[in-house]
Amino acid sequence: MEQENKKIQVAVIAQQFLTRLGIKTILSVIGIEPEVLESNNFYDLKNILARQNFDFMILSEDILPLPKNISLNELTGLSKNTRLMVISDKKIENCPCSNFVLYSDNQKEVLEKFQEFFFEPENNSSVEGNENVLSEREIDILREVASGFSNKKIADKLHISINTVITHRKNITEKLGIKTIAGLTVYALINNIIDAENLKNF
Amino acid sequence: MNNYFPFTEKTRLADLIHQDYKLIPVIGRFGIKFGFGNKTVSEVCRDYNINKWFFLEIINSFHNSNYFPTEELQHFSAQTMVSYLSNTHAWYLNVKVPEIEDSINEMKRLAPNEDIKNIKLISDFFQEYKNELVIHLDEEDSKVFPYIISLEKSLEMGVFDKELIRKIQDESIEEYERNHDNLEVKLADLKNLIIKYLPPVSSYDSCQRLLIELFRLEADIENHTRIEEKVLVPKVKLLEQEIIQISGAGK
Repeated sequence: MEQENKKIQVAVIAQQFLTRLGIKTILSVIGIEPEVLESNNFYDLKNILARQNFDFMILSEDILPLPKNISLNELTGLSKNTRLMVISDKKIENCPCSNFVLYSDNQKEVLEKFQEFFFEPENNSSVEGNENVLSEREIDILREVASGFSNKKIADKLHISINTVITHRKNITEKLGIKTIAGLTVYALINNIIDAENLKNF
Repeated sequence: MNNYFPFTEKTRLADLIHQDYKLIPVIGRFGIKFGFGNKTVSEVCRDYNINKWFFLEIINSFHNSNYFPTEELQHFSAQTMVSYLSNTHAWYLNVKVPEIEDSINEMKRLAPNEDIKNIKLISDFFQEYKNELVIHLDEEDSKVFPYIISLEKSLEMGVFDKELIRKIQDESIEEYERNHDNLEVKLADLKNLIIKYLPPVSSYDSCQRLLIELFRLEADIENHTRIEEKVLVPKVKLLEQEIIQISGAGK
């Protein structure tokens, strides 16, 4: 139904195969189907990060050379927009990471942390502009979407690329919390962005 | 006590409900009525002639989303499972959906003219959702479930006709797994439209009730879907494999 099905990229780094397998299992339990890259040592990882970008990185502290906070810093320097989670016995002080799964966490805590890690937006990474209010351009796009036009039609009509339309739609959905076209149409009608008469088949 | 510990045949049915009241409709769908005193799961199942292994799988999967069914799958027939799932479908359509429609109608009835337009939008949206739900449940009742029953019958009788083998090979339950529609998205949208964007309506009580019922329906369908995926689909896969093996079609 949605036009872009790009999988999220996750790096899973731990010395032990069992740990990596466990992490992947939890991902599938919380309903994430990522493209996973696995690595079991620090230096391989650095080479990989130089070439490839990840959305998320889950890392076991056992691969970090001492001092751990410095080696973590090195990694985050290589992967600017990657969200990082570290699995360890305790929080690592003075390091760039704020997400920790601890060895002492039970099943429920681990699952909650993973869920938060993947699904809660980072505090400082809000969508452009005011978080909740649609921009004028977004309202233009919403009007067309709610009236039943395809991305291609909208792009032609407003003289923008399809990719731009898709980005706007993604932002609209994120801001409003409404994913289906029918839902967006109702929103547009409630807010008088469109008229019921202009609708072909609602 | 650890909440994730599975219920067993020795668990008292009353304790189970105290621990998770969302199991009330599930027990109802098995035909169990209240007044069972201190009887255990095993005793109540015997009274009602319910397969206790199946009952436990359903209850545990429903209660704990991380519960994975195990070898108990062998202990009950596909027929048992299908009749429970059809009961659940019927409960959605004959009990849950009408309850929601009642709330919406109540809102319409109490609405002054200026509210009518928005309530009608919500009402139309729900009707659209309902139509999709009906189509989805119908598809399972009329195609998927009979297919599953035919697998079991065929094994019992030891007769494997070509059409069935073809179905297993071309349209096995894995296909159905992939097609499992995402009705939840629409329901989530409806909730958000009411919570965030519907301008205040004068029939606030019915609106609250509507919202609560939508949450309940959503939670129940979520669990139901999980049971289909974790209990039904693996069981059907077992049957499919068995038929392919016995009939020699896999060679």
